[in-house]
Amino acid sequence: MLRFVLRRLASGAGLVLVITTIAYALLYAGGGDIARRILGQNASQEQVAQKAANLGLDRPLWEQYTDWLGQAVTGEFGRSWFNGQLVTTSVTGRLAVTLSLVLGATLVAAAIAVVLGVLAAVRRGWIDRFVQFVSVLGFAVPGFLLALGLVLLFAINLGLFRATGYTPITTSFTGWLASVTLPIAALSISAIAAVAQQVRGSVIDALHRDYVRTLRSRGLGFRRVVFKHVLRNAGGPALAVLAVQFIGLLGGAVIVEQVFAIPGLGQLAVQATTSGDIPIVMGLVLATAVVVVVVNLVIDVLQAALNPKVRLS
Amino acid sequence: MKRHAILGTALAAALALAACGSDTSSPSSSSGGDDGGGSSGGTLTLGAIGAPATFDPAGSEWGNYAPFYQAVYDTLLLMTPEGEIEPFLATDWSYNDDNTVLTLTLRDDVEFTDGSMLTADVVKENLERFKNGDSPDAGYLAGVDEAVAVDETTVEIRLAAPDPALLNYLTRDPGLVASGEVLDNEDLATDPVGSGPYVLDTGATVTGNSYVYTQNPDYWNPDLQHYDAVTIKVFEDPTAALNAVKAGEANGVKLSTNDNLEEVGAAGWTVHADELNFHGLLLLDRGGTMNEALGDLRVRQALNYAFDREGLLQAIEQGHGTVTTQVFPESSEAFDPALDDRYTYDPQKARDLLAEAGYADNLTLSMPTSAVLGSTTFTLLEQQLADVGVTVEYTDPGNNYIADMLAPKFPLAFMALEQNPDWQLIQFMVGPNAVFNPFKYEDPEVNELMERIQFGDEDEQAAAAGELNAYLVEQAWFAPFYRAQGSFATDPATAVELVPTNAYPTIYDFRPAS
Repeated sequence: MLRFVLRRLASGAGLVLVITTIAYALLYAGGGDIARRILGQNASQEQVAQKAANLGLDRPLWEQYTDWLGQAVTGEFGRSWFNGQLVTTSVTGRLAVTLSLVLGATLVAAAIAVVLGVLAAVRRGWIDRFVQFVSVLGFAVPGFLLALGLVLLFAINLGLFRATGYTPITTSFTGWLASVTLPIAALSISAIAAVAQQVRGSVIDALHRDYVRTLRSRGLGFRRVVFKHVLRNAGGPALAVLAVQFIGLLGGAVIVEQVFAIPGLGQLAVQATTSGDIPIVMGLVLATAVVVVVVNLVIDVLQAALNPKVRLS
Repeated sequence: MKRHAILGTALAAALALAACGSDTSSPSSSSGGDDGGGSSGGTLTLGAIGAPATFDPAGSEWGNYAPFYQAVYDTLLLMTPEGEIEPFLATDWSYNDDNTVLTLTLRDDVEFTDGSMLTADVVKENLERFKNGDSPDAGYLAGVDEAVAVDETTVEIRLAAPDPALLNYLTRDPGLVASGEVLDNEDLATDPVGSGPYVLDTGATVTGNSYVYTQNPDYWNPDLQHYDAVTIKVFEDPTAALNAVKAGEANGVKLSTNDNLEEVGAAGWTVHADELNFHGLLLLDRGGTMNEALGDLRVRQALNYAFDREGLLQAIEQGHGTVTTQVFPESSEAFDPALDDRYTYDPQKARDLLAEAGYADNLTLSMPTSAVLGSTTFTLLEQQLADVGVTVEYTDPGNNYIADMLAPKFPLAFMALEQNPDWQLIQFMVGPNAVFNPFKYEDPEVNELMERIQFGDEDEQAAAAGELNAYLVEQAWFAPFYRAQGSFATDPATAVELVPTNAYPTIYDFRPAS
């Protein structure tokens, strides 16, 4: 187990290195005149050239990248070119916000999807058709559109939740709940759709297995069979889908955070990428790559815990 | 069914919990306090369309970023809603005979929030830092030779040549003064120390998203503190701004588009409108160095006759604005209402002029295009130019739209430019060294008029600016389409007056509505 985790961590580190290299090259390719964007339209060409030289933008790409990498491995990520904030401060602060949204959405999606999926698989009939319908709808409706609808109904007309902004959980729990409920709802719908379908399929599959018949014939209650045995077997594929959804939600958060003016990674990513704030963008790429690697690892470990048949080798 | 009941209960509980939270943290509920024009009006929550890059005055910007700075810093002079320049940190100012030395007398009772005092040395240092700093407006002080602290409360600003815009500059970013103790501090970018009416609460502020200010208890001018606290939220997405308006989560919001004015009005908010930018073609290559045709006055005038300005205004801005053919703003003494329709839509006349100049149906213009500025605009321009026989070749420089325009890589380009007070506007888009005169085009007549503005007295300045305006229109240096409406919305609990020279109202001009 330990060896497996270590090996996965090592390959994760390699992956992160590859991702940052590619990201840096892409930024360079699409970069444009960053110094001009920092200084604005009133600055003269001379000022712009001077700024570019100060930032080292006139040096070759590989030199800029190795410079960044050399400092990054020592934990030195520099400061934003635009607002002078430390990269570590602005990325970690915002990572916490986005993770609270994405983790929240994942947990909500997992809980609701398991209930819906199991109900559909066990009851079949109209519940099944309803779940299928909701799933298709969940896939079809984009998160941001749903977000707009939710804001209109629950924040503007009913005044139950906040339409914009974010309150940290450390400041006020109810304030936090008021600010994250709608974004989490908007984010989780498509994940619910995907995971519910997967749970439904796996449970139906598992219910037809011999061991279920054997367990039932030995007199075990249906509920016990479903929750203790069937779900355990059906959980693996569902977890895999959930992991993929989690990573997708990180992307979905970009749009949803814009609509709700939430200070998460998404908002920062849009700002930094459109302006060409390379230190921040690289910090973001690194942070999200690490999160994805860790999540995948955690899911693998969970799989093993859930089902001993999955060998960690 | 039991399961449905459980789900329903859980949902109801979540709603109830969250509802409590939203009540206690709603900004509008805390701002409706009774106020008799004194200094306590609860919290003022504002919405801005962008966040400032830094709190270091030497890197500061104005326009939509002004309130972030005005909350913590004072400026040397103050711009009133009437467009008058009034004393602020400086109580008095005067020029020498040839307008090359500006002497400022400072207040002697101004304390920064770190306890240090405002002195002439501090002002001198701030001015010099701004001149040599990263601000996009650093060029405003390019003509300043030096700032000299004559005594504790007297500063002289010595100029190489008269600068009629200097006093105006001192009401905005170049006039911001930070504490002398923190000027070398790297944290100044995120932790400002000024003498302003409010203090930035760095713990509660999320850079780029929301900025929280508390009242400065020792402020020297408490009459300007109309609120106990100020929060400025950044709504980069117009939908987020609109939602904040509808949900009452702010008191004043700058709108980045005019698309939703009806909805804003329907929410009970007041829309304050002004016109501070013109949209149109910059006919940059007036000398015809890159495209010979543009050196011909008839071609430049033909381009002015080719556009259906009213149609463009309707299509692009839903009619929110005023068509014009001049670049000087309505607030300027040089403004002439007759110049708003010097060139009426007349495709036939445009064709005739082009034919006369030898470009009947054979003129091709290379222009930059940008998805960011709205593809509708570029399509319409292409169509209207095609109607008079002019072909447009578009190139999309991506993020380098402005950089390539100023390189210069195009003989002309579509752009929206701010319409500043006269001399500032001239330095920005007319003078031989103006940023938006990238071909450095010069015309002896323009130079002469500029000289009269620079060296003349006030009456002379106004007269010459008027002549310059008329000349630029006649010579078709630009092909302006319209002045676009800028919109600022306030809720019923808040009153504000706009300033004629800035996109965002001055922070002291917000008051609780009586």
